[in-house]
Amino acid sequence: MIIVMKQGAAQPDVESVVKRVEELGYKVHLSRGEARTIVGIIGADEHKINQENFEVMDGVEKTMRVMQPFKLASRDFTHSDTVINVRGLPVGGKQVVVMAGPCSVESRAMIIETAHMVKEGGATVLRGGAFKPRSSPYSFQGMGEEGLKYLAEAREETGLSIITEVMSVDEVELVGEYTDIFQVGARNNQNYSLLKALGKTNKPVFLKRGISGTINELLMGAEYILSGGNMQVMVCERGIRTYETATRNTFDVNAIPLLKDLTHLPVCADPAHGTGMVKLVPAISKAAVAAGADVLMVEVHPDPKRAWSDGAQSLDPQQFARLMTELKPIATAVGRGI
Amino acid sequence: MIVVMQPGASGAEIEAVIRRAEQMGCKPHPIYGESRTVIALVGDLTRVSREVFDEMHGVANTMRIQEQHKLTNRTTRPDNTVVKIAGSAVRIGGDEVIVMAGPCSVEGRSQLIETAIAVKEAGAKVLRGGAFKPRTSPYDFQGMGEEGLQYLAEAREITGLPVITEVMTVEQVPMVAEYADILQIGARNMQNYGLLNAVGKVNRPVLLKRGMSGLLKELLLCAEYIASNGNYNIILCERGIRTYETATRNTFDLNAVPVLKQSSHLPVAADPSHGTGYREYVPAMCKASVAAGADALLLEVHPDPDKAVSDGRQTISVETFAKLMKDLRRIAEAVDRYIDEDDDDEAFLDLSELAELEVA
Repeated sequence: MIIVMKQGAAQPDVESVVKRVEELGYKVHLSRGEARTIVGIIGADEHKINQENFEVMDGVEKTMRVMQPFKLASRDFTHSDTVINVRGLPVGGKQVVVMAGPCSVESRAMIIETAHMVKEGGATVLRGGAFKPRSSPYSFQGMGEEGLKYLAEAREETGLSIITEVMSVDEVELVGEYTDIFQVGARNNQNYSLLKALGKTNKPVFLKRGISGTINELLMGAEYILSGGNMQVMVCERGIRTYETATRNTFDVNAIPLLKDLTHLPVCADPAHGTGMVKLVPAISKAAVAAGADVLMVEVHPDPKRAWSDGAQSLDPQQFARLMTELKPIATAVGRGI
Repeated sequence: MIVVMQPGASGAEIEAVIRRAEQMGCKPHPIYGESRTVIALVGDLTRVSREVFDEMHGVANTMRIQEQHKLTNRTTRPDNTVVKIAGSAVRIGGDEVIVMAGPCSVEGRSQLIETAIAVKEAGAKVLRGGAFKPRTSPYDFQGMGEEGLQYLAEAREITGLPVITEVMTVEQVPMVAEYADILQIGARNMQNYGLLNAVGKVNRPVLLKRGMSGLLKELLLCAEYIASNGNYNIILCERGIRTYETATRNTFDLNAVPVLKQSSHLPVAADPSHGTGYREYVPAMCKASVAAGADALLLEVHPDPDKAVSDGRQTISVETFAKLMKDLRRIAEAVDRYIDEDDDDEAFLDLSELAELEVA
């Protein structure tokens, strides 16, 4: 349930509403918008609360039941777009943020070289996996902490922020020491222990939709992180499993406006995984920006043919630079910058 | 297999290749491109030898096509096919992105004409409207039939917009072709091979929708059915597929647009109305479709969507449509295409004159 305060409601009125909610044994989420404040009520059986008891309080305009199972992630709770500050870079604002880099960190020289290339192309965040969730246990599993160190070094050299995947609860602390944004991969969309652990950190989390995950499940995954107290969550469409095998995944472009409608969190798109094929990445990147994505994540490798993982969906630096040039007019056409 | 003729090969040389192919027991399809002519050989190729053709006058080379779709293959024709709509200036598959808009169903004469005038004013180039409706329930409105076709023809008279409408069965083909400028094959009929053969034999462009659980490969092979009957004027259409996700009516598979553009020379349309099923997401999906490279959009527009007899939930109002067209022009320009403004001086009725029309 949410309690919408009147425009310009006095602070003591807000405080007494909050106090009353807490007395009833529920948690409160306060969202102070430009025009009005919204008091969100979170608890297992909040539907038992009598709305009328709040509607008669001073400063209260109305109360509303939130129909969706996700509360903190819902647009009803927080009306305006959440803008996440990543080392001074706003994510979710007017500028479309491009995160680019290799699928895996393969060596020190490779990640630093790629960092320079993507920075030149216009990326503001460097991606690179150090812990890799590979389908086969025999495939390259990532460089681990060594990879994290190289990412940090690339950040030093280029000034780019870094994003890298964290796969398990026991890695959270280690990865958190290095990274600016935690990435939760598609396979961990519903790893609730991991999500809870990330909810207790104070770093932004980039949550990917599960391979066969519904939009509802994605937002419930985000809710796990938010309910732990970490309000800096981005949600990412990366293609879903369907019967079609002409592409690696089916990029569900509907997810972008749907998520923008349902949640205030920044919405990201990953056309590399969404298609699985380099020759489709530019068209789908443009479509994602046109559909309203706040963030684009692309895989870029200095020599995709020699990439240790995901080479078929990685752009080379020239292709990336060309794509960035082509994305600018699309961003402008939807009233944004890149 | 394809036989690629040299640029400037003579008619007699092309004829000779065709005759030779027929003697070998296969079916030759000459495809006249801008830069070169190609003769695609389909059917039984067991008695065909490449060497025979390699040695003939005017032949540049011969090539095997690995994919199952031959006539619709990008290799067979490197240039884009541009489908010309007879009796109009509409060309689908060129630099202009063509917007086809109108109600899901033709509901009445004045509803259709009113919508036609409004969508034309906003920049639509083709009027859509169903007269024969494939509804999931046999108890739902099944369309106005021939009466609906007559209203479509009348709307064309008034606005100059060519019309696209669905044909559901083989026996309807001659009647629908008499009225429609483009024949639409719906998702449920993508693999209705009898119908595909029938529309392959008429001289009308065909818009072929992807089946609800259709593979892209299957869509291309269904287009091949139409083409192999001699009708090359085919527009492929992505309209969303069935997946486990139920938050939207269908999952709009925009990957299809670049995949189809790359594997075929045929124009590719997108239907964001069916692709999402919710009118609030239709504008974003239209922009995404044009950004992804779609050559045409097929959109459901109604003067009062809440009162539409079918598909109201995914239908946008004429006001939303007019605003959307402005946004789409900017996206089209961003991908080096354009969407025309309605700048022709042709006399057609404006909304104030419609009242008189209804009285008449």
